Amino acid sequence: MLKWLAQLDRLLRGETTRPESLRDGQIEIAAGGLAILIVVLGMIYGLCMGSYSLLKGPSAADVDANARYLQLIASTIKVPALFYLTLLVTFPSLYVFNALVGSRLTMGNVLRLLIASLAVNLAVLASLGPIVLFFSASTKSYAFILLLNVTVFSVAGFLGLVFLMQTLNRLTSIDWSRDRSLEAAREPISSADDAAEIFLEPAAHGDPSALELPPGQALGRHTRLVFGCWVVVFALVGAQMGWVLRPFIGSPGLPFSWFRERQSNFFEAILEALRALLTTGG
Amino acid sequence: MRAWLAPADDVLRQAPWIMSNLETRRALLRLAFCIVAFALLYGAMMGTFRGIAGQSQWMRQIVYSAVKVPILLSVAFAISLPNFFVLNSLFGLRRDFGQAIRALVAAQAGLTIILASLGPVTMLWYASSANYQHALLFNGLMFAVASFSAQWLVRGYYRPLIVRNRRHSLMLWTWMFVYALVAIQLAWIMRPFVGSPASEVQFLRADAWDNAYVYVIRLVWQAVF
Repeated sequence: MLKWLAQLDRLLRGETTRPESLRDGQIEIAAGGLAILIVVLGMIYGLCMGSYSLLKGPSAADVDANARYLQLIASTIKVPALFYLTLLVTFPSLYVFNALVGSRLTMGNVLRLLIASLAVNLAVLASLGPIVLFFSASTKSYAFILLLNVTVFSVAGFLGLVFLMQTLNRLTSIDWSRDRSLEAAREPISSADDAAEIFLEPAAHGDPSALELPPGQALGRHTRLVFGCWVVVFALVGAQMGWVLRPFIGSPGLPFSWFRERQSNFFEAILEALRALLTTGG
Repeated sequence: MRAWLAPADDVLRQAPWIMSNLETRRALLRLAFCIVAFALLYGAMMGTFRGIAGQSQWMRQIVYSAVKVPILLSVAFAISLPNFFVLNSLFGLRRDFGQAIRALVAAQAGLTIILASLGPVTMLWYASSANYQHALLFNGLMFAVASFSAQWLVRGYYRPLIVRNRRHSLMLWTWMFVYALVAIQLAWIMRPFVGSPASEVQFLRADAWDNAYVYVIRLVWQAVF
């Protein structure tokens, strides 16, 4: 466990993803350990999230007094499940499109990259847990708690995905420079003149022409586009997955249930909560 | 598992064995296997609508949908093929015909792989909305996304042919148009793929024979306005 935490710390400090560490085109992390750590961090945040129903006393609609504890358990299970289910839904298409545009990332590498960014995401989320706990204890408004949690998830998700894109940028630029060094190795320098020319005019030889991109860079750009689209899809799917798995917090006006009816969607509900917060005070 | 997925990965990454003239039979068999396996997979996920809604006979719907997707794709391919053959001969491209077919089969395999990878997203959609019309439209969207992406793939496979003779480009566009025209109508005749909650589970609808294009325009009209 401590070893995994040390690894997460290195990840957060950026030591794992420094360009020199990524030289082989892959991230050196133990994905298994991080995957377990993600579950633990998610459960910690889930506890903070579910505390609202516990701290507010038995809701009027609940017949059974133990329902509050059930909500706490449900939230603890659901937060890690939310992240892994979202990954499960979006990973196959990400990998397929990534392979389609000719990226060199193998399935194992893509998975490691995503586990690493999820770990960053969850670390930020869990670190915000105490703040959510504090507000759960001190606020009555359900709409406020709902929006606070959405904000916390967005901040954590945003940072995790920025980490993903930055690491990917480094990976593809390394790919590109390796291509160039390979090309240089393939053309042996025949005479001293040539060597001098290369030495004197590095720009002419080193930079790609405007029309002809080196293959590594062209592919890297497509890969980044695929991941960029994926980031958006991941956020949308994650939001909707959260909606499908609700309730996470437990509305005080409704009895406890593991899942709610299929209806509406995430974005409508957010607008509704905003309206409730602004007009009636929740 | 890895050995099973390796050909799929090769299809997406345009591995050399797919277009090389050696081992034609083996390559075609592998591609055909990819097409059937991944089409079955997407069909099965497509057919979970009743299951997620908790309705009866959901297993039967999954089996029906799973079987129908590979049939749909291969029959559409077979119907469009004679026309493609004649046009190719007519434009003097008969010598490259074998390679052209290889490219098209590979792209077809790519289409099913992309579709299967989008399957989980379709299931999430089912889990979040019980609206049958929207489920239909969402599946249409997934097919459209997969088709557009497979186009990228087919152009990659066709590049050496087009370099050899620019008329191949025209042939490819004609193929895509004819194939899409046939496949959409065929999908309409072979419905239901998703399985309306309001009607019985059946392999084919009794009143299936009419035009898809008219219906889709009406569906979009209703969804938007």
